[in-house]
Amino acid sequence: MVSWLLIVLIAGPILFGLGILLVPARELRVGLTLAAAGVTAAAALFLSRWGPAYGEIHASSHALPILLDWLMIAAVIAIGHFTRHTAVLVMGVVQAAMGLALEFLPRAPQTATQAAFVFDQLSLILVLITSVVGALVLVYAVGYMDRHEHHGPQGQADQGRFFFFLTAFLGAMNGLVLANDMRWLSAFWEATTLCSFFLIGHDRTPEADHSARRAILINVFGGMCLQTGWLVAVLKGNGDALTTLNQAHTLVPLAFLAVAAMTKSAQMPFQSWLLGAMLAPTPVSALLHSSTMVNAGVYLMMRMAPGYGGSRLATVIALAGAFSFMATSALAVGQSNGKKVLAYSTIANLALIIACAGMSTPLGYAAAFLLIVFHAITKGLLFICMGTIEQAIGSRDIEDMHGMMKKMPFTTVIAIVGMIAMLMPPFGVLLGKWIAIETAVHSPVVMLMIVLGSALTVVFWAKWLGRIVTVSYHHKYTMEELPPVMSGSMLALGIATLLSGFFAFPLFERFIKPLARVMFPLSSQTDASWKMLQMTESFMTWPIYALAALLVGSVLLMFRSVHDGKIRRPFMCGENVTDGQLSYEFRSIMDRREVAMSRSYYFASIFGEESVTSWADPVALALVLSLFGVIAI
Amino acid sequence: MIGCVDRSPWIVHYNCNSCNGCDIELLACLTPLYDLERFGVLHVGNPKHADILVVTGSVNHRNARVLKNVYDQMPGPRMVVAMGACGSTGGIFADCYNVLGGVEKVIPVDVWIPGCPPKPEAIIDGMVRAVQLWKANPAFQPQGGAARMSLIRRPPASAARPVTPAAAAQPTQNEEADPDGRQSS
Amino acid sequence: MMTNMTQVVIALVAVLLAPAVGALLQGIDRIVNARMQSRVGPPLLQPVYDVMKLLGKEVVMLNRTQILYAWLHLFFLMLATALVVLGQDMIMILLVLAVSTIALILGGMCVRSPYSRIGSQREIMQMLSYEPILVMLVIGIFLTNGSFMARDITLAGKPLLLTLPLIFFAFLLVTAIKLKKSPFDLATSHHGHQEIVKGITIEYAGPYLAVLEIAHWYETALVFLVLAAFWATNWKIGILIAIISYGIEILFDNLCARLTYQWMLSHMWTVGLGLSVTNLIWLYWK
Repeated sequence: MVSWLLIVLIAGPILFGLGILLVPARELRVGLTLAAAGVTAAAALFLSRWGPAYGEIHASSHALPILLDWLMIAAVIAIGHFTRHTAVLVMGVVQAAMGLALEFLPRAPQTATQAAFVFDQLSLILVLITSVVGALVLVYAVGYMDRHEHHGPQGQADQGRFFFFLTAFLGAMNGLVLANDMRWLSAFWEATTLCSFFLIGHDRTPEADHSARRAILINVFGGMCLQTGWLVAVLKGNGDALTTLNQAHTLVPLAFLAVAAMTKSAQMPFQSWLLGAMLAPTPVSALLHSSTMVNAGVYLMMRMAPGYGGSRLATVIALAGAFSFMATSALAVGQSNGKKVLAYSTIANLALIIACAGMSTPLGYAAAFLLIVFHAITKGLLFICMGTIEQAIGSRDIEDMHGMMKKMPFTTVIAIVGMIAMLMPPFGVLLGKWIAIETAVHSPVVMLMIVLGSALTVVFWAKWLGRIVTVSYHHKYTMEELPPVMSGSMLALGIATLLSGFFAFPLFERFIKPLARVMFPLSSQTDASWKMLQMTESFMTWPIYALAALLVGSVLLMFRSVHDGKIRRPFMCGENVTDGQLSYEFRSIMDRREVAMSRSYYFASIFGEESVTSWADPVALALVLSLFGVIAI
Repeated sequence: MIGCVDRSPWIVHYNCNSCNGCDIELLACLTPLYDLERFGVLHVGNPKHADILVVTGSVNHRNARVLKNVYDQMPGPRMVVAMGACGSTGGIFADCYNVLGGVEKVIPVDVWIPGCPPKPEAIIDGMVRAVQLWKANPAFQPQGGAARMSLIRRPPASAARPVTPAAAAQPTQNEEADPDGRQSS
Repeated sequence: MMTNMTQVVIALVAVLLAPAVGALLQGIDRIVNARMQSRVGPPLLQPVYDVMKLLGKEVVMLNRTQILYAWLHLFFLMLATALVVLGQDMIMILLVLAVSTIALILGGMCVRSPYSRIGSQREIMQMLSYEPILVMLVIGIFLTNGSFMARDITLAGKPLLLTLPLIFFAFLLVTAIKLKKSPFDLATSHHGHQEIVKGITIEYAGPYLAVLEIAHWYETALVFLVLAAFWATNWKIGILIAIISYGIEILFDNLCARLTYQWMLSHMWTVGLGLSVTNLIWLYWK
């Protein structure tokens, strides 16, 4: 049964996607998209509830993955040729050469029975995230793309292509996290790169093309690193399986895979492609570039964690992650473009996950798990809210997002929920940060960078939250008009964020810590790290819940007592205009009416992109090179 | 005990066309030599935090609106103290074309402090009297009207002119009624 | 291990007692300030009279959500107090305190008042300045005692001041920010009611300003407790240290001018962080 479910999860979306591509009518396309979303989510939920904890699929022949792999390489070369992108073309050719070598290299006999797909708890969590969050984003995309302005020269056909790639991507991502055979992994890895390329370039504007080129450059580089690691592993007699890499006696393939993971997750110094990808339509950002595709990189890091745990490679990985966290949080402080802030925040959270995985402690591993789950849900939610906001106010700038509570209360409240979930206890992301700080105590430099980064994350979230909650008094609010697919998906994700957030701590105790124990068996760890894992059990959650309930109840009561007579205007030294529509108008010279506005602090000279990347990129590059240096020298 | 404004009267100060003499004297009261803080008086920056609005200067057309704005933003119970000769009647500027002639033309006043400028002792006396108004009348009306005391003999007010904010919002009425600028009785 | 009922009782007692301690400290603060300035000063219970008066004022506001943020600010401070008294995880306490400050920041930004918004931006800068140092204080305590729980603070048997001297100085800088005293009283000053017209709290009036004042009592009490915890092995000496530190804060409040947020940020991230990191290096190197 498990194998059938896995096939549905991987091949299902791809088949639905092909259907969407071939079907001309819009209604049929919408129906197929919604069906794909429903089927994928249902399969994933069914698997998690009634499936086993572990499963394998063995394939008798390697024909299908090899075919897929060559198809992807051919596609990369074709893109390199037709877009006149020499670097991509060259890398595609190199990958083809490596593919040929891998075809004909002999494999050690004991590797003949390695499974094609392996399904365990880590894969399950990622499949769940991809399928459920991905399904909701697909539903949202149906409504969003209807209103999207750039339909390209072909209009309807473009939409078909868009939804083909978006839906097929779900299947490719599921396949990626379930793959054990490196052929499948490499094929799906390149498939996600290609989906990303076409989706980023959907609008066909010069900026979109440029961003797509940047994205495919860096991601194909990552794919090449992945293939190199595979080649080294085969040369060392490991065969084609991912799971046995951890028991191999060499760390070199792991180092290559680490670089591949860092390119996919847009870590520094590879972050520029994700920033450029923000030009894509928002469902693309929500699906690929926050909750799913970039998770492929951290998934790989977590998969390899037992392999490099405790080694110097792990130390460098943790340092690289922590440094990325600090630098991208600083970069986010200097941005006023909302999507760029979200992008930098995504990279920062992924960096934190990588740092936690690199710390090689069970508590760190558990924290990484926690962060993956909650970050994916919350960031997906924030991106789709950002899409709705952007369509409503016509701007992505944070400084334009005031007074939204009057224009669109529903969206604003959900956006606020998303931002609080990134910022406050007892929600999961903050819980993850808390555990990360505690477990980083044993690595001082990592700890310092995580602490500085955390302080910086608060800055940009507080600024943005403050801007969104700005509202004058209104007697009543009217909900805005949104297509049900958009409001439904936002509401569903919002409720998921709230519920999972409130129960983050019990979820952590019941599901995630046992996983960490499985991944880090007792014999390989010292007592100290296990004692720390047990410390979290004595944390009391009842004060928070009690107070939260008290607060919500009393505040709702107080809200009802507010009426027009109690409202005053802001203090503007008495120069308020009393008969105007806006409460924040004042009279300046010559009795002229002016509106009082103030911007937040951005510190472009300190936290701006140019200043920070000028010092952060070289340091990050040095750390990436050290990945190889510490194991080779 | 709740609402004990008499123990913690916070003042906000507004200068309506004053020569700054009264302002300097008021600030002098907050200095160590005279120390208004021993009565719990704090000089706050904005009307929303204040209980007493201390107005100096003879109000003119330009800042009547501003004074009204500041007064409206004060939450009750609130009092108004008009400082100096200018604040009471317009002082030596009462005949000027732009001067309305005293704070009570715009907002209801509870305590007048005479002097040009009033000595710090007189200011302290005025503040204490203002505070005593609360002690004298626990159900103090938020509009600052119930029990009012004056330290000077006011010129007989025109009985037909009620001192309410609504009437005070038309400051030019006075001007047209009496071209000399003098208050008629 | 205490039973749940005992925990609830202890938490309630602490939550009711802390504002009293805070109010008393603020009263003494005002009197000492006054005497330093050759004045008489208000009566000792003046902060209580202030809050009582504010509670009796008419309720005015700019929008509904101001209420929410004021209460959030107070509630999370109460929660932090309860957690401290119950000896819970110190990093979690720091995070709860951060939430409380964020609630205040949002309260300042949710209204369309330029002064309020500037105050909030400055408060964000203040948070950025002192958060790393507070976390390093907790890490330093962990390195001394081997535990993140507040109830294990005396586990090592020696007072924290001896193992964390530099962090103590850095914490004195943080105290100036938390108590809203010069040179760091930028967002809303304790005594300077005119600085950007009281900044964040400008649009709060009456009972909701009273809520913010009571929250500040909690903050004062918490700061005092942390200062005293630097000699947790003998609480009498700890309280003495706390009193002396508080006196130093008042002294510097009267000596220093208010400085800019750029100066505060650069000063805290160089001097403050430098002191803390050096101290931690000593502890790691043992």
